[in-house]
Amino acid sequence: MRGAGIVLTQELRDLWLDGRALALSLAFSLLLSVIAYLVASNRALNFLEQRETVNLTLQVAVAIGALLALLTAADAVSGERERRTLESLLLTPVSRLALVTGKLLGALSLWLAAFAITVAYVWFLGRGVGIAGDALASGIVVGTLLAVFLTSFGILLSIFSPSNRVSLSLSLFLLLALFAPTQLPSGATSGWAGDLLLRVNPLTAGEHYIGRIVVNGRAWNEDLVWLASPAAAAAVFAALALAIGAHYVRLGGGGSE
Amino acid sequence: MTRAAALLLAAALAGHAASAAQAAAPRMTVSVDRTAVATKLGHTFVIRSTLTNHSATPAAGLIAHLNVLSLEPSLYVDPEDWSSHRTRYLTPIPAHGSITLSWKLAAVNAGDLGVYIAALPRSGRAVDPTTGPLVHVTIADRRTLDAGGILPLALGIPALLALTTALLKTFRLRASRAGSSSGRALRT
Repeated sequence: MRGAGIVLTQELRDLWLDGRALALSLAFSLLLSVIAYLVASNRALNFLEQRETVNLTLQVAVAIGALLALLTAADAVSGERERRTLESLLLTPVSRLALVTGKLLGALSLWLAAFAITVAYVWFLGRGVGIAGDALASGIVVGTLLAVFLTSFGILLSIFSPSNRVSLSLSLFLLLALFAPTQLPSGATSGWAGDLLLRVNPLTAGEHYIGRIVVNGRAWNEDLVWLASPAAAAAVFAALALAIGAHYVRLGGGGSE
Repeated sequence: MTRAAALLLAAALAGHAASAAQAAAPRMTVSVDRTAVATKLGHTFVIRSTLTNHSATPAAGLIAHLNVLSLEPSLYVDPEDWSSHRTRYLTPIPAHGSITLSWKLAAVNAGDLGVYIAALPRSGRAVDPTTGPLVHVTIADRRTLDAGGILPLALGIPALLALTTALLKTFRLRASRAGSSSGRALRT
């Protein structure tokens, strides 16, 4: 685990001191600022619509925060390979499991930073309607599960992708595919197949759970079944990323030497 | 003359049919547990209504419906926001029996509003709905969003992050320049 700590420290230094993560966080905060300003300056919103706005802000934060973590993870191995720094990294006396663990945790730091930025906005929008605490608590739980799932998936793609371009494109495609069901009209998801799709897809299930707590004022334990899919996806993909990463991080993409 | 007589006969028949339909429907009344509610924006409150069947036959196939309206023209009200469960399909009410329904409402707009409950037949027959008395709801306003406070937050957080990014860049630029100048000094 000491090796993972060393890799994590180096990853955090590369991400945060080189400015890439800070620049992404700045763009993220600008997006939340625009949403918060549009909401707060709208005097026609009723009480319920304010709760819906807190929900929207939180869902955008979870989605974009997870996206940032996914993109960073998708660059983790294939990026090193493309920059021709992977060889020297593999020659260091650090196990491949430690290498993947450190990179996974480093990518997750983007989600944690995104959530830290979100706290101020959600607190501002939600305190008047008495939902800030519940919104933030549900946001950190759901967002962390989704970030772990997407980061692990990004690492897996990065391990097997021959180039960074392939890894990043596949990551974006996956994210858009997971988000697509959120745009379906409510009637399309009212049948058993639609309901199953929403429950099985970790993204829609997680966002649905947040909505039930923030908009409908439901108790934490009432809709816990909606957390099953994000929790299972996080556990399975994290285990897969670590297990596969420990054996298949190689100089060439696609698992070849 | 003949035409006027035919019209009169048609009107009389129509009136007879309507009154026969009214007579066939069980006699119902709707009452509520209170006629005035005063609360604050964001709070929830409950209105209980009692539907009583005064006739000697059971009243089956009834729907109870709650409606919310603004008593001020300037206030827009969407009843769906106030209660997500506004229509109830009732089980038969026995002869001379009654049924009590609880309606949970959320106060989503401040102002003066009216709430009433109506009972209608599921058959879709053209009869007047039976309505209960209007419940006058007064919702006191309270500040739930500080519109003036958003600017410092919306500008402050990106500004803080931009400043941190700029400071880090400057620091790293200086460090690399210092490194290259010391390298030059060493070479010379």
